[in-house]
Amino acid sequence: MHNTAVAHEHYAEHPSGIWRWITTTNHKDIGTLYLCFSLLMFFVGGTFAMLIRAELFNPGMQLMDPLFFNEMTTLHGLVMIFGAIMPAFVGLANWMIPMMVGAPDMALPRMNNWSFWILPFAFILLLSTMFMPGGGPAGGWTMYPPLMLQTGLAFPFTIFAIHLMGISSVMGGINIIATILNLRAPGMSLMKMPLFVWSWLITAYLLIAVMPVLAGAVTMMLMDKYFGTSFFNAAGGGDPVLFQHVFWFFGHPEVYIMILPAFGIISEIIPTFSRKPLFGYTSMVYAIASIAFLSFIVWAHHMFTVGMPLAADLFFMFSTMLIAVPTGVKVFNWVATMWRGALSFETPMLFAIAFVFLFTIGGFSGVMLALVPADWQYHQTYFVVAHFHYVLVTGAAFAIMGAVYYWLPKWTGHMYNEKLAKWHFWLTAISANVLYFPMHFLGLAGMPRRIPDYPVQFTDLNQIVSIGGFAFGLAQLLFVYVIFQCVRGGKKAEAKVWEGAHGLEWTLPSPPPYHSFTEPPAANLIWAHPYQND
Amino acid sequence: MVLRNFKIALRAAAAATLTLIYSISAFAVDLNMPVGVTPISHDVYGLHMYAFWVCVGIGIVVFGLMLISIIWHRKAAGHQAAQFHESTLLEVIWTIIPFIILIALAIPAAKVLIRMTNTSDPDMSVMIEGYQWKWQYDYLQDGFSYFSMLAADSNAASQLDSKISPDSVPNYLRDVDHPMVVPTGKKIRLLITANDVIHSWYVPDFAEKVDAIPGFVNEGWIEIDKPGTYRGACTELCGRGHGFMPIVVVAESWSDYQKWVTAMKAGNGAFIDPTTLQPEQTGSPVVFAPALLNFNAPSPAQLEPIAAVLPAAAPITKPEVAATAAKPATKQAAVTEKTWTMTTAMARGKQMFDTNCAACHMADGNGNPTMGVPAIAGGPIPNGPLAAHISLVLHGKGIMPAWGNVLNDADLAAVITYERNAFGNHKGDVVQPAQIKAARRAVKRN
Repeated sequence: MHNTAVAHEHYAEHPSGIWRWITTTNHKDIGTLYLCFSLLMFFVGGTFAMLIRAELFNPGMQLMDPLFFNEMTTLHGLVMIFGAIMPAFVGLANWMIPMMVGAPDMALPRMNNWSFWILPFAFILLLSTMFMPGGGPAGGWTMYPPLMLQTGLAFPFTIFAIHLMGISSVMGGINIIATILNLRAPGMSLMKMPLFVWSWLITAYLLIAVMPVLAGAVTMMLMDKYFGTSFFNAAGGGDPVLFQHVFWFFGHPEVYIMILPAFGIISEIIPTFSRKPLFGYTSMVYAIASIAFLSFIVWAHHMFTVGMPLAADLFFMFSTMLIAVPTGVKVFNWVATMWRGALSFETPMLFAIAFVFLFTIGGFSGVMLALVPADWQYHQTYFVVAHFHYVLVTGAAFAIMGAVYYWLPKWTGHMYNEKLAKWHFWLTAISANVLYFPMHFLGLAGMPRRIPDYPVQFTDLNQIVSIGGFAFGLAQLLFVYVIFQCVRGGKKAEAKVWEGAHGLEWTLPSPPPYHSFTEPPAANLIWAHPYQND
Repeated sequence: MVLRNFKIALRAAAAATLTLIYSISAFAVDLNMPVGVTPISHDVYGLHMYAFWVCVGIGIVVFGLMLISIIWHRKAAGHQAAQFHESTLLEVIWTIIPFIILIALAIPAAKVLIRMTNTSDPDMSVMIEGYQWKWQYDYLQDGFSYFSMLAADSNAASQLDSKISPDSVPNYLRDVDHPMVVPTGKKIRLLITANDVIHSWYVPDFAEKVDAIPGFVNEGWIEIDKPGTYRGACTELCGRGHGFMPIVVVAESWSDYQKWVTAMKAGNGAFIDPTTLQPEQTGSPVVFAPALLNFNAPSPAQLEPIAAVLPAAAPITKPEVAATAAKPATKQAAVTEKTWTMTTAMARGKQMFDTNCAACHMADGNGNPTMGVPAIAGGPIPNGPLAAHISLVLHGKGIMPAWGNVLNDADLAAVITYERNAFGNHKGDVVQPAQIKAARRAVKRN
């Protein structure tokens, strides 16, 4: 008895100060690190976006050299994807998955520490290129050769940074799979897992499958530049389009890596605030799995204009359109969950509803983009920019913000300031639409993307877009303030923060103990899960 | 309380939407895809609107149901939550209905796609080559080609801190020095490739967007309904000048087009503005700078022989032109045999430098350190051995393009002379076209 108590105290012991964070193997600490890092990167990438929108406020070059503008678009993309969205989802996975499946921690805690601490170094490497002679990478986040091969000193640094990000993601993915498959509480079969856990299980497999493909593509480019190979050099018998095929074989599943966990989050939030079980749990799981499978056979829809044979164009058009079916099933299930519920509109629910509306708009433009003949008009114009910002900002980023408000009281033990949070939501939702909606019109009118200067007839719309952009950027400062305020203090949060919430994480006190479930939760808690309550 | 907040929020959202719609409707720019002037562009427009209305229809149903839920099924309104959570029938229905809608979209899309990729039986072909940052149009059957780059006034206004308002420039960033000229009513096959990095040739009115990829020739086709000037731009990120390589296509009736082709053949490398060949216009045709030589302001010396071969007044008759067109070889030889003096070489060299080199090496010759472009002023190459200098300009290195394919011997000699004797460099040598020719030969022998 005495010995157990001592062992237990030792078990909960951890260094304090900076060493706590550097040496931590605790899933909550690492989750916090991931989330803070992603918030920082959200502002770094956002600063780049603000510079882009400032330059595009008027025709003519006012602020920067066109090459610096290209650096900004490139780094904005890389930082937002690999620095903001992906680490935010991994952070949420770290915090929530052990609590949702009834485990004490992640399965591989030491690797967990590594997979986070690689990231700051990767981004120091990437961002340091801006201060090198020749400037940072300016070939777009897609890094197509031969243009990317014209990069100066920044080239190897960018590629090694991407390698590091890939290693971090793969380790994170392995850890998540190991946790979900091995550490579930007794009685929690796969089909009783919360949907957020399901979405991450599938996402983690996608990560492991495609991050090495990206690493391969950029390594081949590295060989072309420094070791005389000709993978992508037509003059040496290579093929510049090969890079695009390999890149998008990574890139399309990557898009779903950034949206499937969002689907999981929305599937947690909507039932809670509808006070009604999620509609069609089983079909939701199958829909995520189908989307993940389809993501591997649609890559060439990013490159319909490269001159593929007709048969390939047709195949990729049909397979791409097919994605609308499982995605539609998900949207219909969310609507059916809300239908005849008892809805209340706390901030997480507002973000979730906005997600369903705006992600669906992004889905509509996605279906239009899938039609190859129409794609020849939309491709590489602002229509595409509008499309992927609707799915990645009002989709993925809105889901992350909703998740933060949803679980923040659980994490901190304090309620956030609901009034300020609602202000943050409305400012964000309205400014995002002022920012992204007119981009559809700019694209249809023929404005190409990634241009630092434009013909004068595009001025009015660009000014509206820029104003929306600045407002969106400012609104995020409020987000930081609300989080800061909530961490510092506030009304005490109960264990079950939301009236309609279900799931194991709400059986733990707020804030939860350092090691989530040191003993498996009682089976009746799992059986009480709404998905299986009949 | 929640209800009141909700109403306020709804009102605010409605007001914002209305303001947005109102302000957008006041714009000069068309808000929709152009209907265009080719049979394909009409089909694509139809497909786009069809897909758009299908999306609107689905949106009304889905968003409508959500709004009903949001308004009626609120806890604040006292609604009690139902507990249903499964229906296999519903899942099957909302899997099958979208599937059917998608088939209804896919069939017309596939039909248009098959038509737009059918490049067989063209009436003529034009080769389009993308360069950083200009286009080259090569009229394969007629044996002439020329470069097309951003108009000088747009270029000047687009410089950082230019102090020239883009509003004061007509067709800012939408004008080129030498437009592509094509006939209406003919099936024109476009063969599209690139010299350095990937570009993409896009003219919205033709619904034509084809990537220009080095080492590969892509195909597309257009058949233009009505004469006019159609504008587009490069749509694949291609470096610093990506936003500054517009496309202008002038479509003319077949007879006018033929007049232009005849004049172009006679012009021997000079670009002839097609609008000046119209029958209703009098006076001599406006002859642009020799397009192969690719500079902005024509020197009188170059214009003289061209003016001589063209009759003073349009229209041109065929036999006359045929007679003059027979001598391009001798003209080309004359370029190589030309002898520069320091003064003539420096004048010509400055023109060539400002047009071709200043984009990267800067007009003051100080280079662009952020891009990794070395300075000409005091640089090791212009102040080093001549052979290395000529070789670098001819064959390029890294991001420096190979100018041997782009400029002729006389202009290469002039620009190299200029680089060695301007910006404070004083090598004092005058490079002659014959030296360039010899350097080209030396490489061939190797």
